[in-house]
Amino acid sequence: MAEPASLFVRSRCVGTAAVIYASDYLNKLSGERIERECKRQLECGCQTLVIDFRGTELVNSIGVSILLGVIDVAEKSGAQLIFSDVNTETIQLFEMLGLTRHVALAKDEDEALTLLNEFAAPPQSFGH
Amino acid sequence: MSTETPGENTRRVLSRVDRSEFVGRADELRRIVSHPLHEGPLGLLLLLAPTAGVSELLRQAYDQFYHQRGKIIPIFFVVPREEKTAVSTAIEFLNTFLLQYVAFRRGEPSLCQSSLSLNDILALAPPADYEWINQLVESYKRERFGNDDEALVRWCLSAPQSVPAQHGYPFVMFDAVALIDSPADGPALRTEMIRIFSRSRLPFLIAGLRRQMLDAVHDAQCDFAGFEILRLEKLRDEDGRALIEHVAHKQRITLSDEVRDLLVLQFECSPLLITTFLQAASELGVSLDTYLACERLYVDELMGRHFGRYFSSLLEDVAADPGLRRAVIRLLYESNTPGSRRNSFAGWKGSLHLEAAELERVLRTLHAHEIITWDGGIVEAGGGSVVWNDYLKIRYRLEIKGDARALVVAETIADSLKRAPNTMARNYRRVASLGLRDLLARFDCQRVPAILLDYARFSDAYKGGTLDEIAAGLEADPGLVRLPQVVHVASCAAFNAGAQPLCDEERCVVAHAFTESKYTDATQVVWMVAEIDSKLEANREVANVWCEQLNLMARESGFGAVRIWLIAREGFSPAASQLLAEFGAYASSRQQMELLTARLDESRAGRNEAASATEFEMVVPMGDDNELLVAHTVEEIARRLNFRPEAVNQIKHAVVEAIINASEHSLSPDRKIYQRFRVENDKLVITISSRGIVPVSVEARNGESEAASGEIQEASANRRGLGLKMIKSLMDEVEFERVDEGTSLRMTKYLRA
Repeated sequence: MAEPASLFVRSRCVGTAAVIYASDYLNKLSGERIERECKRQLECGCQTLVIDFRGTELVNSIGVSILLGVIDVAEKSGAQLIFSDVNTETIQLFEMLGLTRHVALAKDEDEALTLLNEFAAPPQSFGH
Repeated sequence: MSTETPGENTRRVLSRVDRSEFVGRADELRRIVSHPLHEGPLGLLLLLAPTAGVSELLRQAYDQFYHQRGKIIPIFFVVPREEKTAVSTAIEFLNTFLLQYVAFRRGEPSLCQSSLSLNDILALAPPADYEWINQLVESYKRERFGNDDEALVRWCLSAPQSVPAQHGYPFVMFDAVALIDSPADGPALRTEMIRIFSRSRLPFLIAGLRRQMLDAVHDAQCDFAGFEILRLEKLRDEDGRALIEHVAHKQRITLSDEVRDLLVLQFECSPLLITTFLQAASELGVSLDTYLACERLYVDELMGRHFGRYFSSLLEDVAADPGLRRAVIRLLYESNTPGSRRNSFAGWKGSLHLEAAELERVLRTLHAHEIITWDGGIVEAGGGSVVWNDYLKIRYRLEIKGDARALVVAETIADSLKRAPNTMARNYRRVASLGLRDLLARFDCQRVPAILLDYARFSDAYKGGTLDEIAAGLEADPGLVRLPQVVHVASCAAFNAGAQPLCDEERCVVAHAFTESKYTDATQVVWMVAEIDSKLEANREVANVWCEQLNLMARESGFGAVRIWLIAREGFSPAASQLLAEFGAYASSRQQMELLTARLDESRAGRNEAASATEFEMVVPMGDDNELLVAHTVEEIARRLNFRPEAVNQIKHAVVEAIINASEHSLSPDRKIYQRFRVENDKLVITISSRGIVPVSVEARNGESEAASGEIQEASANRRGLGLKMIKSLMDEVEFERVDEGTSLRMTKYLRA
């Protein structure tokens, strides 16, 4: 029996990378979908994760907590994680809460994938 | 039928003074006169403090009704002191009712003062009333000679209900102050009266001693919702002064301002005592222009004139038997010292050698007159007015101690004279005092500059500064302290009789309070506050004595956490400040107090502004991402206020977090979130509230224990905790307001250029 459509989050694979698209409001529900998708991709052997926030207007603290969990899981799996297309307000929020010390930011999905191709160095070399 | 003549409206019917000379009860008079016609309960209970006086108030009301000549027919009945049984009082009521009714219907006010039999009254009845009054009189004759006293009492009290509606509505005003408790085997008139009137469809008023009346309503098993209550306290000082001046002027008594002010205090603004005393001065031709003349007359009054007779009559009501009366006088007087005021029922029983039922009656009467306080178990003596206590002392010396009358007179005059300047000085201190009780009663979790409670810092920062400089400094001062919410304030003496000699009641107070927004043992604190006399900065010794005294009092009273706050006009010396810091005590000068008072005034004004048109309210159900709806609303409001886009976004985020917090953290019965957005000159104040009980674990977390940024594992494992941290980072001020249940988070964002 197939899972209900609402449980899915949009994503695509590019080589060993997976791009996961966050919804307009990153709260508990949508956050957990992203978390599940990230874990699924990692279990499938994915080496790098890009979470794209192009459609995200607002991230709440539960969403942030879940993202912290994703960062933790990625680190433990030895996978790279990049957040792309994060709006200014959300970047401020991430900075305030210390997320940007643990994850790289890219202007958009293309830049994230480009960076991944060039990837060899630790994530601190990335900037936004 | 009316015999009204020009000028009738100003003529007195039952009142004893002209309306223009009736002082100090204007609001109460208005309420009484409006009572019969207003919608609401038919009954009006006037609850009197002893010697507050009500008779003239009701007479003035009577006259106003009389001259209105409307549908309301006033009936005023004073329970006569000499009527000792319920039956005789009820019959007297019937007679008074019919007499005043006929006087009103005939328009002949002078009839009210006449003494007529029922047959005489019937003969004077207007033709339209003759039939029903005749029936009433005939019926009375039958009831009178029955054997059922209770039925007769009820019948008499029900007589006003016989008035045909087309003739008007009797409004009975019953002055039951003098009504004494009936013997156990007779009908209880006060209770019967309340029961019968409250079941009628007519408006009525019953005035009585406050303690007696409340008991009577309970005894009559009436619902308090069926009554309006009007409390008659003592007059305000300025009204007391005005009353004395009016009466003295009318009676042509020479009166000095000093004596006038002394009388206000000595008689505690009792209209009854004031008018009685001035009447005596008039009768004896005494000029009240010196304390000596005043106190001589006062003692004369106590020794056997009006005051003496008044209190003697009260004692006779308490104890008809002379032997018992002496025993009561002895017990009351000897119990009137600190340390011996509280005694048990059994103790009184042993001292007075009375059966329990008779002792109960004695105690009830003393309790009603507030000479003692009796809760059914413990008897606390030492109550009553200054005048009563002087009278009691005289009676004790004469009857128990056996002192010579001349000695008692001489020493009572001397004592009164010695007391007079102290009474005045105490009053001047009271007037000049800071009003600690009022101030503390207004403490309600406001945030105020901490420096206002720290004289040493205040002195360093602002000594010699102008008011403007201090105001500007305080405005910019980020060091705020949150005042507790005070739930009860009383003088220290109320907790510890030993405190009384230490200072005046109003200058040393105890405030029970809670320090935070929740009522728990941990947040409960007792503030002990004293205003110290000191012309210069109070020194270390003075501060030490006060701290030790207050700490001792706290221990003796069993207070838990205590906060001492001392206030001295000119503040404290550096050594005293250091000592107070060691005690953990707050210290302020008078100027700091005044600044604090002004702050609280502003805070109150600010709250009043809350209801202005610049406030938006929104209620949303919890869940369904409804925080987004609110976020969009607040975004729009913030944009209108020209907040910068970054600030708009911060506000929006904070609101979302606050709503999530409220949704997650309260066991809400209505599952709703209440938002208030108040726009002020330079800021937007947002309050997010919800009902429900906040779980203790969450309550603790609402404090400060948030996950440190960057601690990923902790934060992700404990997904909550970030919300409040975010809010605090995003907004300029964040505070949990005190609410009875649930949470209420107030967030402020300032509009910066």
